Amino acid sequence: MSPSRGGYPPRVSLVVDRVSKRFGSVVALDGMTFEVPRGQVFGFLGANGAGKTTTMRIALGVLHPDAGSIAWNGVPTAHLPRGTWGYLPEERGLYPRMTVLDQLVYFAGLYGVPRERAAREARAWLARFRVPEFAERRAEELSKGNQQKVQFLAAVLHDPDVLLMDEPFTGLDPVNVALLREAFLELRDRGKTLIFSTHQMETAEAMCESVAIVDRGRVVVGGTLGDVKRSTGRRMIVLGIEGDHRLAWLSTVPGTRVIRPGIDRSEVELDAGVRPDDVLAAAIARGLRVTHFEIADASLEQVFIDHVGRPADEEMRLAPDADAGSVAVSAAPARASESEPAA
Amino acid sequence: MSRRDPILPNAGIVARREYAERVGSRLFHLSTLLLATLGVVVALSPLIVRMLDRDTVTRIGVVASDGPLVDRSISILDGVLNATATGGPRAYEFSREANADPALQKVVDGDLDALLVATRQPSGRIDFKFHAGENMGADRTQLVSIGTLAVAILDWTASQKIEAGNPFTMPQLDVTAAGGPSSGGQPISSAEYASRRVVGIVFVVLIFITLVIYGMWVAAGVVAEKASRVMEVMISAASPQQLVIGKVAGIGLAGLTQAVGILAPAVAAIALEDRIAGAVLGPGSSVAPSLAGLSIGLLAAFLAYFVLGFVLYALIYAAAGSLVSRAEDLQMLALPLSLLAIVGYVQAVMALTGGSAGFIRVASYVPFWSPFVMLTRLSVGRVEPWEVVLSFSLLVAAIGVVFVVAVRVYAAGVLLYGQRPGLRTIAAVVVGSR
Repeated sequence: MSPSRGGYPPRVSLVVDRVSKRFGSVVALDGMTFEVPRGQVFGFLGANGAGKTTTMRIALGVLHPDAGSIAWNGVPTAHLPRGTWGYLPEERGLYPRMTVLDQLVYFAGLYGVPRERAAREARAWLARFRVPEFAERRAEELSKGNQQKVQFLAAVLHDPDVLLMDEPFTGLDPVNVALLREAFLELRDRGKTLIFSTHQMETAEAMCESVAIVDRGRVVVGGTLGDVKRSTGRRMIVLGIEGDHRLAWLSTVPGTRVIRPGIDRSEVELDAGVRPDDVLAAAIARGLRVTHFEIADASLEQVFIDHVGRPADEEMRLAPDADAGSVAVSAAPARASESEPAA
Repeated sequence: MSRRDPILPNAGIVARREYAERVGSRLFHLSTLLLATLGVVVALSPLIVRMLDRDTVTRIGVVASDGPLVDRSISILDGVLNATATGGPRAYEFSREANADPALQKVVDGDLDALLVATRQPSGRIDFKFHAGENMGADRTQLVSIGTLAVAILDWTASQKIEAGNPFTMPQLDVTAAGGPSSGGQPISSAEYASRRVVGIVFVVLIFITLVIYGMWVAAGVVAEKASRVMEVMISAASPQQLVIGKVAGIGLAGLTQAVGILAPAVAAIALEDRIAGAVLGPGSSVAPSLAGLSIGLLAAFLAYFVLGFVLYALIYAAAGSLVSRAEDLQMLALPLSLLAIVGYVQAVMALTGGSAGFIRVASYVPFWSPFVMLTRLSVGRVEPWEVVLSFSLLVAAIGVVFVVAVRVYAAGVLLYGQRPGLRTIAAVVVGSR
């Protein structure tokens, strides 16, 4: 890999600089700009259509930007070898009738990995994923989740510097999510840069060191996870009270709001001037048994809503019931709290 | 694209996978076996027809200018033509007919297969007029002509005093068709079937079928990769040029493998046709040489036009395949795509029958049609060397242009899902504004 050049700080490795792209009348990217430090796990957060996939395709050289540039270590991506990248597209696909081993060797071969080495690496990775028997199976014989694991291996087998993954956790069961997370961390520890898009904020919160929240083709906020979470200025506590998950008594504490209620613990937002220990003191004064108390940052989901104006997975939730004038069913606690005044 | 992506080795890796997938499939084995069997059957069809024809009796009426000549003709023809029959029923039956006109009507009606009219000239020469019916094959007509020569010789030896010094004069035999297939009044001869026209039409049919079928394989391969979404990975791992070249080369080689698998047994059958005929039908049962019109030069031209024609059409099919997302949509593309080849095919057939009319000559230079038309012109007619050079040059140049266009369409098309790009989008892609 060539040394850093072009005036970027040494630790900044991937620079997306004012990239714009239109498809006919549709603006896919509108001056997309962010930086990804080398060797980090980076979350690219946004709803469908925000421009995540287009940005990745431009980085890969599959699409060309109308304006702007993407560089890795100061080298424009168009001049980089294809093997710099490992790509896991959102739409998974394998050759259905090829065996898993054959296709892993085939894809690695396109990146210049010799057959023997590719086969050895593929078998080692399959063993790591606890599915060595998949090697001789046809892709069509595997479940969707297992095909996804195979495709992840296809993206990493040639040992790329950067992994670009489009919604890598979508469609995986909890066991496979855990396996993939472990693999992420292992690759990160080996110095790889991992960039993945997601609209699952909790996953990003658990995995990423840096994130960029994108909307309508541009970054609305980006940086380290901590910086982004504090970017809204919200002050939060997480509170758990034995036998009381409604926390109705908080209405008597001025400047507090429950924004993510939960059975075990709830997130409470504090206005400026309200101290966390005022809330703790009020609970104790009422004789309540505090099971959990934590001064926290705003959740990434709340940050996303604050910046974008809607949840990242809004299209996966039912629209408000017009007749009832309120949210009839909501899976998202934040939305529930928003609907409370209307109700 | 400013990234330097050498064509090899990736195009070779893609080609190897494409080749292995197709040649390894059960459908490939079955279709090759089926078509090879069909090819052998077609190659041996003249022989099979003769075998089926072996037990049929040809009825020939005989009319002569004098009574003894009728009896002598029937007796000699019977002896000569039925001599090869070994124990089986006689192949020829002769009947004495009183007048030519009613007998000719019998031929037209099918009551007789042919009518032989023998007329003794004052000079002693016998003129034969042979009216062949529609069931009278060219090979049997030839045997009858040999029989008439025997009649003339034996009649001369029987009726003339040799010491009188009258020399033997060759009989005249006019053959006319009476209701059967004809070419200028002559029954179509097996020699004509074995001419270069046969080779020409075999080649043009072969090229047409292979270009359309294997072209569709290319398009279907692209659509399958799009439909299974594996294209998303492929397009990031290899350049569009590498993918298109690999796919065309791999599928082209698979097609060539199948073509050889189909043709080799058929050609072997044709080459051994004579021996097979001898073994099956007995000695002297030669079959007209079907490969007479085949030369090394023509074979080389066929191979060159096959390869270049396939590359040209496969590139178009690859680009077209990239524009659809589902196998069902591919069917809509099949007809318009094959129309281009059909136009070339029709012109090639016209070239086989009509020679080198002006527009046929021009069509033989046009890249999309030259694999058909120039090949048939080479088979049947005189073609100047410069015409062949021009035809090949234009074909190669067209491949270059189509390659650039096809790769651009492919690069943009493979990422389009669920939308059918309009002509404006395609045009924008081709000029590079997308």
